[in-house]
Amino acid sequence: MRLKRAGKTVIGSLFLVAVTGSCILLLSRLAPKPPQAEVEFARLALSQAASNDAGTYSRRQYNEARALYDSAMTGWQAENKRFLYFRNFDKTAGFARLSAKKAAEAMENSKLNTSSLEKTIKLKIDTLNALILRIDKVFKAYPLPPEIWNRISRGKMLLRESEIAFEKGQYLQANKHITDSEYLLTASYEKASMDLKEYFDNFPVWQRWVEKTILESRKNRSYSIIIDKFSRKCIVYLGGVRKLEYNVELGTNWVGDKRVRGDKATPEGMYRISKKFNNNHTKYYKALLLDYPNEFDKAEFVKEIAQGTLPRNAKMGSLIEIHGNGGKGVDWTEGCVALIDSEMDVIFKLVREGTLVTIVGSTIGLKQVLD
Amino acid sequence: MGLAAIAMVAVLSSCGKKPQAEIDSANAAIEAAKTAEANVYLPAEFTALQDSLNAVMADITAQESKLFKKFGPAKEKLAAVVTQANQLTESAATKKEEVKAEVTNLLGSIKAVTEENSKLIPKLPRGKEGAAVIEQIKADVATVDASIVEAQGLSDKGSYMDALNKIKAAKDKADSLNAEIKEALTKARIKF
Repeated sequence: MRLKRAGKTVIGSLFLVAVTGSCILLLSRLAPKPPQAEVEFARLALSQAASNDAGTYSRRQYNEARALYDSAMTGWQAENKRFLYFRNFDKTAGFARLSAKKAAEAMENSKLNTSSLEKTIKLKIDTLNALILRIDKVFKAYPLPPEIWNRISRGKMLLRESEIAFEKGQYLQANKHITDSEYLLTASYEKASMDLKEYFDNFPVWQRWVEKTILESRKNRSYSIIIDKFSRKCIVYLGGVRKLEYNVELGTNWVGDKRVRGDKATPEGMYRISKKFNNNHTKYYKALLLDYPNEFDKAEFVKEIAQGTLPRNAKMGSLIEIHGNGGKGVDWTEGCVALIDSEMDVIFKLVREGTLVTIVGSTIGLKQVLD
Repeated sequence: MGLAAIAMVAVLSSCGKKPQAEIDSANAAIEAAKTAEANVYLPAEFTALQDSLNAVMADITAQESKLFKKFGPAKEKLAAVVTQANQLTESAATKKEEVKAEVTNLLGSIKAVTEENSKLIPKLPRGKEGAAVIEQIKADVATVDASIVEAQGLSDKGSYMDALNKIKAAKDKADSLNAEIKEALTKARIKF
């Protein structure tokens, strides 16, 4: 009897455990499912966005996506603390889905921003390098104020820093440097151009002198020489046709007309060769003495003395020549025009006393120079 | 009997404890990697490391949702994250040392070039005095000097990546300046 009762109790217990276990398993199946797939999808989307530098190039959207993911995780953890059947993962799933959506958007945005930034910076680098070439070409020998050169120099350095950052794919840094460089270089170029504009104020007069010089060469079928101070060229015409072109070096203070003895400026005007000196009669390698000062120069000098823009004891310059010993690569004369010896030999043979030599600030206009 | 069933459920549902110690270790290891500036010197690897931890944390939370929890695999993954983070800390330190050495080398070599430039500038043709070219050279020398000071400052602060870009640009300029000065001296037939 006792055995029978004990057997019944064991069977009853086992039955109860089995029923309870089955109920728990059944109810656990019926309990709300956590949004594991949604969270996993969001995490992968965030990871992909991060790999595409969304944290840098689409920061706001990426941070929003991260915050939504964190909310999903926090919500999930909070629901886990509740009794199995009272859990509600709707909000968690919603946050996860939103996070995935934002992360995908952040990634796309990052790709677009990166690509756009890369193109913009590349374009700016090319444009600014072209501007530097132009500055070097136009202003290389032009005496701009030191503060402009300082700004140009700083602009060039920032451009190089931008190029280095760009090569490494550090577009934000590259963009910052290029923006600063652009400001410095364009502002300096505009300021320098304004400065140059003053130099070119006399261009209409120079143009007339050049036309007259070519016309005389054509009429007389003779040689004429034009010295272009800005481009540092000596241009030889025969019969009105440009025949030869040589590089020249000028006075150290070449900008503007010569005003007074010792100002180291190369004069501007229409002159004639008054004497040819062979090597035994000049300290330079051959020389062609010009009839500087001409009547106009003398009149200007007197006017300046009268107006008080020159001191009363100032003296007029003289002995302006075209001579050899050039090729130093710098402006070094006292106001003369220097050529390399072999080219001086050629010119010396072609010209005679009385040959017209016109010295102008430039043979081409400012617009052409800047273009 | 009823109590036995409840006890069974309780035992089964709490047989896995959240591996908090391992989570804390992983977070600490990632923080150490960040302190070693792994996010600066090895950003892609650091992003991957953070993602690994996120994946494990999602696994752990998923296990916490279950009636019968199992944290064994998560513990193994957390240990792997710690190993990965420690390796990254070492790699970042190595990378940082490499960049630091490059900055130090460049600072040394640029100083040699600028010293030579300073010696050569007074030899430039006298006719250049007051001319545009000498002004440009002076401006460039000043800019290079300022960049060296900035790069040195960044290096002293430990910002070697920023210092590297700056000093590289300055070195390029100093070298081109050196070539320009030597060319001018050669053209003017001045020995240097």
